[in-house]
Amino acid sequence: MFAFLLQSVASTFDRPAIDLHALAPEFVLTGALVVVLLVDLFTPKGSRGIVPSVAGIGILAAMVPVLTLALDGADRSMFGGAYVVDNFSLVLQAMFLLAAYVVVLLSTNYVAEGDYAEGEYYFLLLCALLGMLVMASSRDLITMFVALELLSIPAYMLAGWRKRDRRGNEAGVKYYLMGVFASAVMLYGMSLLYGISGSTLFSDIALAVARGNGLGDTTPLITLGVVFVLIGFAFKVSAVPFHTWAPDTYEGAPTPVTAFLAVSSKAAGFVALLQLILIAFIGRDDVVGPLMWVLAALTMTVGNLIALRQTNIVRMLAYSGVAQAGFMLAPLAVVGSNSDGARSAVVTYLLIYAAMNLGAFAVVLIVARKTRSAEIASWGGLFEYAPGLTVLMTVFLFSLAGIPPLGGWLAKFVVFRALLSPDLTAGGVILAVVVGVNSVIALYYYANVARQMWMNPVPDGDRTPVRIPFSLAAAVTLSVVLTVAFGVSDLATHLGDLATFLPA
Amino acid sequence: MSDFLRDYLTVGIFGLTGVALVGLLLGLGSLLRPTRPQPQKYINYESGVDPVGTGWGQSNVRYYIFALLFVMFDVEAVFIFPFATRVDAYGWFGLIEMGIFIVVLALGLLYAWKKKVLRWV
Repeated sequence: MFAFLLQSVASTFDRPAIDLHALAPEFVLTGALVVVLLVDLFTPKGSRGIVPSVAGIGILAAMVPVLTLALDGADRSMFGGAYVVDNFSLVLQAMFLLAAYVVVLLSTNYVAEGDYAEGEYYFLLLCALLGMLVMASSRDLITMFVALELLSIPAYMLAGWRKRDRRGNEAGVKYYLMGVFASAVMLYGMSLLYGISGSTLFSDIALAVARGNGLGDTTPLITLGVVFVLIGFAFKVSAVPFHTWAPDTYEGAPTPVTAFLAVSSKAAGFVALLQLILIAFIGRDDVVGPLMWVLAALTMTVGNLIALRQTNIVRMLAYSGVAQAGFMLAPLAVVGSNSDGARSAVVTYLLIYAAMNLGAFAVVLIVARKTRSAEIASWGGLFEYAPGLTVLMTVFLFSLAGIPPLGGWLAKFVVFRALLSPDLTAGGVILAVVVGVNSVIALYYYANVARQMWMNPVPDGDRTPVRIPFSLAAAVTLSVVLTVAFGVSDLATHLGDLATFLPA
Repeated sequence: MSDFLRDYLTVGIFGLTGVALVGLLLGLGSLLRPTRPQPQKYINYESGVDPVGTGWGQSNVRYYIFALLFVMFDVEAVFIFPFATRVDAYGWFGLIEMGIFIVVLALGLLYAWKKKVLRWV
């Protein structure tokens, strides 16, 4: 042991090869968040609006190297395979950047008009975004864990940003406690996997956990490790029964942060699940498949049934987000028979879900600027004074419900296709039926909001038009264009098919 | 019993021995020592001075910011000392990497300074 240590000290240090082009998106974003911090420190108090602009420009600047890497097309692998740039990471990084840009647009007025610390808000938002970019590229347990903490810890603080509001405090504390608990469970699972494989690289873990690995009877240990790690991320994507933090956190957090948690943070959880299930645990679909089947069926059913009874639109969107997570988990249940289809379906669903859900939150923010309420009852008669907004919200709601020709329809379709191909299996067919039934249940509460907007009278008789700030208008426009474009073209499915992993 | 469980048996025996040893020594002590209780012996010992006030006295909340800043530079030292023993081997590459690390940490100090948390009011 000591001889080995001495020997390693005596050997010369090998400078690791660093591919600056491959790491450019992360570098640009790191630079941007340093600039955001400095700009906030050295501008006089009261000069608001500079920091969100800088943050937005930084995010768009980080998009440039992602695009040049995509045009270059070559897969890159760094640090012994722990960090890669492949089609999957590029598609998801582009999605994270675009979603975060929309969140910055949503936040601009909200943060500037409330009594909130502005510089720190965008600084933490960019930190979380950096964690998401790293998450999409990590092919190693430690890199993935660091990425997870980098995206979670700023999110805990952002969730409690309304620090003088008791609901805001509850949101932050609940999210933090549940998140830390999930991290602990996951770390225990990771330690078991490391104990079995002797490596933190996904490719090595895949060899060790596969059936017939020549390690003797270690099945219980492998099962425990796999299940614990997956449960850690099930908290992140708010899958039932690990969803209890989501509604309270979503309601208490500032609405732009809620949009960020519901879209970007959830997507990051799915990115991690995809990488783990399809690379590290690919030989253990006998463990992963049933677990995902149960999680998916429970998540969509429970999420939808509770969403039916919500009277607050943010809580309703929170439970609808839980249900949507169930739809996204469903393809992972058939990963054993159709792994490519499952990957493509989840990525497609994530892209479409990001567009339509961000759009819905944008409209909620705009309407709340006038009504000062998040109750669904306060949405009555929106059509009478804001017909354009009503049409847009209807588009987003019906897209979430899965009505053709909007994006959400295609998302549901790819889930069905993944479940029912290449050939019919009992598990796949039953889960497809559960997805179908849940889609019908979901239509009820989405249509309920639409009915409120189109048919009911204005509750307080105030018919003054809603004033829409430029940044919120831009966010809604971007979301609606993407929601419709994903529905009528094959853009999302094409990107989903394209997002392949670097062969291990 | 499998090898795996036998390894844990060793750990278990080790733990039991540890607990038994502590119990044995404390038990022996209580048997052998004289017992003469006096009120002075039950006062909290605070660097030779009799304690003032109650145990629930408040300390200044500002200390926690200094504690955080201390942790920041403590972490810095943890990384710099091992690095310093091998500076020549790492060469310019290591120097630049450590420079970036220190600059990022210094940003935290700059932030604290500009937010006036270093000033004791």
